[in-house]
Amino acid sequence: MGPSPRIAVIGAGPGGYVAAIRAAQLGARVSLVEEQEVGGTCLNKGCIPSKALIFNAEVVELLKRAEEFGVRVISEPTYDVTRMLERKQRIVQTQVRGIHALLKSWGVALIKGRGRLIGPRAVEVADAGGTVQRVETDRVILATGSKPIKPPIFPFDGDRVITSEEALEPRVLPKSLLIVGAGVEGCEFGFLYQALGVSVTMVEMKNRPLATEDEEISSLVQREMNKRGIKLHLAVRVEKAAIESTQVVVTLSDGQTIAVDRILVSIGRRMNTEGLGLEEAGVVLGKRGEILVDDRMETRAPGVYAIGDAVGRIMLAHVASAEGKIAAANAVAGDRGHSMNYAIVPAGIFTLPEIGTVGLKEWEAVEQGLKIRIGRYPFRALGRAHTMDEIVGMVKVITEQESDRILGVHILGPHASDMIHEAAIAMRLGAKVSDIAEMIHAHPTLPEAMMEAAEDVHGSAIHLTRRKGPPPPAGRAGDGRQGP
Amino acid sequence: MIPEGLRYHTEHEWIRQENQTAVLGITHFAQDALGDVVYLELPKVGVEVRSGQEIGEVESTKTTSPVYTPVSGKIMAVNEELKEKPELVNQDPYGRGWIVKIQMSDPSEAKHLMDARQYGAYLKEKAD
Ligand SMILES: Cc1cc2nc3c(=O)[nH]c(=O)nc-3n(C[C@H](O)[C@H](O)[C@H](O)COP(=O)(O)OP(=O)(O)OC[C@H]3O[C@@H](n4cnc5c(N)ncnc54)[C@H](O)[C@@H]3O)c2cc1C
Repeated sequence: MGPSPRIAVIGAGPGGYVAAIRAAQLGARVSLVEEQEVGGTCLNKGCIPSKALIFNAEVVELLKRAEEFGVRVISEPTYDVTRMLERKQRIVQTQVRGIHALLKSWGVALIKGRGRLIGPRAVEVADAGGTVQRVETDRVILATGSKPIKPPIFPFDGDRVITSEEALEPRVLPKSLLIVGAGVEGCEFGFLYQALGVSVTMVEMKNRPLATEDEEISSLVQREMNKRGIKLHLAVRVEKAAIESTQVVVTLSDGQTIAVDRILVSIGRRMNTEGLGLEEAGVVLGKRGEILVDDRMETRAPGVYAIGDAVGRIMLAHVASAEGKIAAANAVAGDRGHSMNYAIVPAGIFTLPEIGTVGLKEWEAVEQGLKIRIGRYPFRALGRAHTMDEIVGMVKVITEQESDRILGVHILGPHASDMIHEAAIAMRLGAKVSDIAEMIHAHPTLPEAMMEAAEDVHGSAIHLTRRKGPPPPAGRAGDGRQGP
Repeated sequence: MIPEGLRYHTEHEWIRQENQTAVLGITHFAQDALGDVVYLELPKVGVEVRSGQEIGEVESTKTTSPVYTPVSGKIMAVNEELKEKPELVNQDPYGRGWIVKIQMSDPSEAKHLMDARQYGAYLKEKAD
């Protein structure tokens, strides 16, 4: 290898800053261009702030149930939204400072401003004051992320008609909120706002919430929405939304009209790939505006890589980071082939309770014509869940009938997003379901539910009553099956 | 323990017939087996149901269990009070813990259900 290569990274989200650090670790001289704040959407307007706020809801919900635990709370717990937002901001700031310190320690040069390609070997950066500088480079990594889709039928005003960005800054809580889209983001906001005391209505085009998740997870989520009084309209579209004095009036495709204080449009994200000089540099975009890359994360322009939301594959922070590490390794080494594998991507969905998922959903396995077995274990049947008074939900394990290998695991319940990693590592190591079933799990813990669900695949969970007749039909919410 | 005048289903639901209407709930035996009821998933008013069909689900701290209807017809009312107080199913299964009211399309279906004595015998048989 010759002298250490120069690498310019555009965008400092979880894709870009991770790629920059990895490239520096591998010996490259790295410039990282960011027009806003390091950490990107994830840290400043996404994962971290939303989870900070959802935790507030969990704290208050627990306090409201304090009596059940034999804890006396003198006065009814209430939210102080200002303090909540301050806390969230403090968390973000601490993380931002942490990233600055990491970048500095690895010698990554952070350049503030908006970057664009000038051909495949130079980046021009314009800062807010209008000063332009040119960065010559050997390779480029594009990590410009995404932003909310804002269809023209919605009169966005940043106050009554908003996107996730404003939804994370609810200085004044509305009395009622309508959320368009019951995907991951919409559902997370739905549970958050309802917990904050807002009357939430959700409108979804598909016939179930979280329509791409496992069908049983969807029905469990739907039931939790019912319990909390979140109103859900399925298989309808919003046809019109109009601001009328202090309210927003929404017309649905089934003719209903609903008047609310605020609406949150949460129907997906658009890649930030415009005005970056991409086409001129030989980078090719797909139909949705996503940057086309191969498995090594290289675009059609040799030496130019792209990662994260901008490539529009799996729009998650940890996927962006994983792609960033692959792109960095390829960009620095040039010839060594590191490629991305998307087979095992665990993910968390932070509803109340939360969801953890990895691998094939039941509907996907069926669609692929696989012969499967399913094991389930309800948290209701688990001692640890009762000690926490968190008994909603279940672990569902899907295996391939012939090989007994684990194809997917889906959890709704306490700490589901943490628990899912046991399944992920098992799948990564090609484990059979017996490997989880026979592994000793500490008692009393939540992952015992994973062990029992693994045993249930062959009908031998100790803490479930004997299966009567054939296993429960596919697709039914199997949150337990004992009982009369 | 098993009230007279109600009709009983093998899945441990009871109905009380009032002309064309059937009030439906789950039996004392069912609520006892379920343990503390924490939530009921109820059908929508107005939907048509067929006898033998699952019309809702009871969640207790131990388990989740379907509720079946032994009669066909239209859901006329659901017990709204259970939304706030699901524990009524435990406390008063044959009274304030009723679950739905059904406008029966074929009242003769109720004739095939057990009376109190038969249901008592059925429970005894199951226990042995
Ligand atoms: C409300 C919400 C909650 C979410 N929750 C989760 C979650 O719980 N878990 C999860 O995994 N994912 C979550 N996501 C998704 C996650 O935030 C994204 O997948 C992730 O941020 C993508 O990382 P990225 O680096 O590709 O892009 P981004 O994080 O979008 O970063 C791109 C960066 O590039 C900068 N940039 C763009 N163009 C230029 C330019 N021309 N010059 C200079 N800089 C530029 C932007 O300012 C930005 O900082 C959430 C998203 C939202 C909106």
